[in-house]
Amino acid sequence: MINQIEEVKAKFLEELQTLKDEKELEEFRVKYLGRRGIIQSLFDKLKEIPREEKPTVGKILNELKELAQEKFNEKKKEIEAKKEKVKISLDLTIPGRFKYTGRKHPLTQTLEEIKKIFVSMGFEVASGPEIEDDYHNFEALNIPPEHPARDMQDTFFIKENIILRTHTSPVQIRVMKSKQPPVRIIAPGRVYRNEAISARSYCLFHQVEGLYVDEGVSFAELKGTLLAFAKQMFGSSVKLRFRPSFFPFTEPSAEVDVSCFICGGKGCKVCKYGGWLEILGCGMVDPNVFKFVGYDSERYTGYAFGMGVERIAMLKYGIDDIRLFYENDFRFLEQF
Amino acid sequence: MKVSHKWLKNYIDLEAEPEEVKEKLTMLGLEVESVEYLGEKYKNFYVGEVLEVMKHPNADKLTVCKVNVGKDTLQIICGAPNVAVGQKVPVALVGAVIPRNQHDPEGKPFVLTRAKIRGVESYGMICSEYELALGDDKEGIMVLEPDAIVGQPLAEYFGLDDVVYDVSITPNRPDCLSHIGIARELAVAFGLKLKKPEVKLAESSKKVFEFASVEIIDTVNCPRYAARVVLNVKVEPSPKWLQNYLKSVGLRPINNIVDITNFVLYEVGHPLHAFDYDKLAGHKIVVKCAEEGEVFITLDGKARTLRRDTLMICDAEKPVAIAGVMGGLNSEITERTRNVLIESAYFNPISIRRTSKYLGLSTDASYRFERGADPNAVIWAVNRAAQLMAEIAGGEVLEGVIDVYPIKIEPKIINLRFSRLNSIIGIEIPKGEVIKILEGLELEILKLDENGLTVKVPTFRPDLEREIDLIEEVARVYGYDKIPDKMSSIVHFSTDKIKTDFHELIRERLIGAGFKEVVTNSMLDEDRARIFGDNFVKVLNPLSREMSALRTSLIPSALDVVRHNFGYGIKNLKFFEIGKVFRVSFDEDEKPKFVDNYIEEERLLILMTGLAEPISYDVKERNFDIYDLKGEVEKLFRAVFLENYQFIYYSNNSEISEFELGVEIGGKYAGRLMKVSEALLKKFDLEADVYIAEIDFDLIRENSKIEERHYSEIPKFPSVYRDLAFVIDESVSVGDVEKAIRESAGDVLKSIRLFDIYRGEKIGEGKKSVAFSLEILSPEKTLTDEEVNSLIQKVVKYVEQKLDAKLRSY
Repeated sequence: MINQIEEVKAKFLEELQTLKDEKELEEFRVKYLGRRGIIQSLFDKLKEIPREEKPTVGKILNELKELAQEKFNEKKKEIEAKKEKVKISLDLTIPGRFKYTGRKHPLTQTLEEIKKIFVSMGFEVASGPEIEDDYHNFEALNIPPEHPARDMQDTFFIKENIILRTHTSPVQIRVMKSKQPPVRIIAPGRVYRNEAISARSYCLFHQVEGLYVDEGVSFAELKGTLLAFAKQMFGSSVKLRFRPSFFPFTEPSAEVDVSCFICGGKGCKVCKYGGWLEILGCGMVDPNVFKFVGYDSERYTGYAFGMGVERIAMLKYGIDDIRLFYENDFRFLEQF
Repeated sequence: MKVSHKWLKNYIDLEAEPEEVKEKLTMLGLEVESVEYLGEKYKNFYVGEVLEVMKHPNADKLTVCKVNVGKDTLQIICGAPNVAVGQKVPVALVGAVIPRNQHDPEGKPFVLTRAKIRGVESYGMICSEYELALGDDKEGIMVLEPDAIVGQPLAEYFGLDDVVYDVSITPNRPDCLSHIGIARELAVAFGLKLKKPEVKLAESSKKVFEFASVEIIDTVNCPRYAARVVLNVKVEPSPKWLQNYLKSVGLRPINNIVDITNFVLYEVGHPLHAFDYDKLAGHKIVVKCAEEGEVFITLDGKARTLRRDTLMICDAEKPVAIAGVMGGLNSEITERTRNVLIESAYFNPISIRRTSKYLGLSTDASYRFERGADPNAVIWAVNRAAQLMAEIAGGEVLEGVIDVYPIKIEPKIINLRFSRLNSIIGIEIPKGEVIKILEGLELEILKLDENGLTVKVPTFRPDLEREIDLIEEVARVYGYDKIPDKMSSIVHFSTDKIKTDFHELIRERLIGAGFKEVVTNSMLDEDRARIFGDNFVKVLNPLSREMSALRTSLIPSALDVVRHNFGYGIKNLKFFEIGKVFRVSFDEDEKPKFVDNYIEEERLLILMTGLAEPISYDVKERNFDIYDLKGEVEKLFRAVFLENYQFIYYSNNSEISEFELGVEIGGKYAGRLMKVSEALLKKFDLEADVYIAEIDFDLIRENSKIEERHYSEIPKFPSVYRDLAFVIDESVSVGDVEKAIRESAGDVLKSIRLFDIYRGEKIGEGKKSVAFSLEILSPEKTLTDEEVNSLIQKVVKYVEQKLDAKLRSY
């Protein structure tokens, strides 16, 4: 009998190791620990053995039963644990939950950059109307009627003497008329030109006007200020080139080129192999303009500048068609 | 303006390479937009002589030629019927780019290679006019002058060994609209001497006064009129050198007389006109304005209707030219012309500009007159033309010039203070340098001392009138690049309180909420503008009908954005725009206007259409609805600390919206939230549910409390939450229940949140259940259960009574 018990024990332990899942576990339990199982059948046989052996065999048998139960429970836990692990295992390759992503329009981004640089230099932000009168847009800027300079800007008319502003320069007049120097402002805004729409030109665009009037403001300082701006905007290694030009409201006047920040000035497609990119116009405020706003041009001097936001954004991001800005294709907006 | 390098060399000893000239001109303010090397096109083309012509052994229409091209004699297969021994012909060598392919329908260029044509080798090509892009003749090869030099590069033979600059001349520099003008600038920049050609005239003994007379009636618009008469000219094509000069600057040679006037125009910048003397009635010139409505036929054959302010050149009987703009057909130079009257005048720039503008006719002459010609170049120019007519057309120049010049235009005298110069520029420019620059520009220095100088400005510089104009001249020629970059050592700070950049704040919030920003055109179709009201602003001269009005709402252009994106299959859109709208107002009490009675206001537009969330594995697909929009708007208001707003509920539907709710901010109507109507969507070819909010931006900004943010004590006690659900009639709104709860709960009700709406059998037809979560908080103490319960009971009782509601669960 004892041998038989030992045999069952050995077999039990051996078989227990081979169990893999809950189904096998259950079959195994019924086989050994069930009410008609092997261990129970051993208990049944206990009746048949001599009385004096009963306590010893009984004890061994009880030990077997306890051990079997214990080992079985261990195994059961092990298998269940394994199963549990499978159930909760993470798949971290599942994509995260997305929401729609917002984007600032590239023109806004460019404008904000420009604004921040000048504001950090002490410029304040001013604005004016888009529906302007001839006086602010032309006359007070030293562009009298019948002047050929009017041809430089094709104009949309609303009615006689009322137009859509062709540049942000009228804001200069409005600001100077409202206060005495020192004046140090930038005026961003939308301007209109009656030009055929193409990849290169649109009927409206955005400008940033700058104006600084005080005692002792010089052309040299204009150069220094714009160079500081260009370095912050395009990179510290860029150079500026000031070319003499003509604007009726500034004298001396200049057009300003920045060394091509794409190729570093060596020449590439963007700068048309010239190494320079035209970015803005500027000059010293013409004394005639001071006369219009009632400033003493002997006491005060000043500079003004104006740049196109679209132009700068196009250069900065390599955009080759201005119309893309107003189409608002989401595949375009996503890129900025 | 086109400027020929070769032509410039007549007036200065220019040795610089074209690239250097380009750089110099650009840095003088005469921007060179392009440089064209005319000879480039005819690289590998030479003058050849046909030595031998034999029939091609295998083709009837082809010949095998031996052509001497100087260095070599080549065998060339030719298909032209007119090839003959002894001809001088244009020959393209292997590697040449033939400008136009005769056998290509579009005449595309091609590279010439060695070829075997029907078994015979060909080492070049004899070209036709068409192939050289010099004319349209395809029929045979081009035959050159018998005296052409064999082996000469073809570009040289054609006078195309030239470089042409396209210079952009600003409107203040009429003096630079000529070769002498440009040469003067280069002379200053390179330190060269300007050599103006000397005019020597052999006049006949006949006196001009006996042959013609001039009378100026309108002396305001024509301050000076000079004329010469040249008899017995032979009108014929100009000599090659003259034709080449004109061609190089883009002019078409016509005949020697007209070409000479054009040559002088491009040489000195003064427009001339040549009349057929015999067609001038009474041999008289009268300068006066036209009759209103008078019709005149110009040289180009077009009938022009004149106005009372159109200045005309007339003879004793009729008008013969529109002064300073274009001559008339009735007095034109033709092959039969024998005698010529040359006009050299100075017209008032404003008069010419006005005429040119209303006629829509801009000519080389009007372009110069309206910018300001030189009243004192008149005599030089007319003499120069007469000299050339004598030399080239064999004319007899009559003695004397008729010169009617009632009020002399004197050169201006201007003072320049060195101190002023230096303070504007920002550095001290040596006086010697200043003098050199001004003298180089032909300004005569009348007086000079340590403080400044006085100059006399030649009349070809109408742009120099004031001290500042001289300062610019000095700075420009001295070189902007030599002026240092200065930054004032004093940092300037704004003294105003820094304010939140409200635009940026709104943008940041909306972008954070997943909106893209759009920027759209503010001009639109009148019909579309009208949908949003009749008070829109019209554009008098729009680019097209689609842009004939200014927008009164951001909605139309937003729908255009939707349509564009839908067109590319992008159907889920969430975007915003901050932009101006415009209108006319006749209301006296309206807010201050900048200009006339036009009002510009800034608006914020928010648009949503498509799926509320991007498609995902565990998100139930759902389209945007009005509550998404309402939520975004309220979230934005809260983000910018805008509290005093309220929605106005009305179940209005209009042409624009299927339904909408208004927003009031600070008690003023600020805009609306809507579902766009099908009718409006149809106008944009759209089929979708589109939700739009359009709100006055200024009202948001003015009512935002962002600048007044203030700490208030954080509650010391925890909040208690209780849920309440009421069964109510369908007719009762959620807002009504919320309002009743608020009324009855009092101050301890901190917040209230709707968390469920249920309709179904359990509660019966025509009913709904609405469930709220109430946050209850007392600033003074932790509320006991009893206190909360009694409050809730009070609320329940109030709501049940007021709205005929029934408590559902507690």
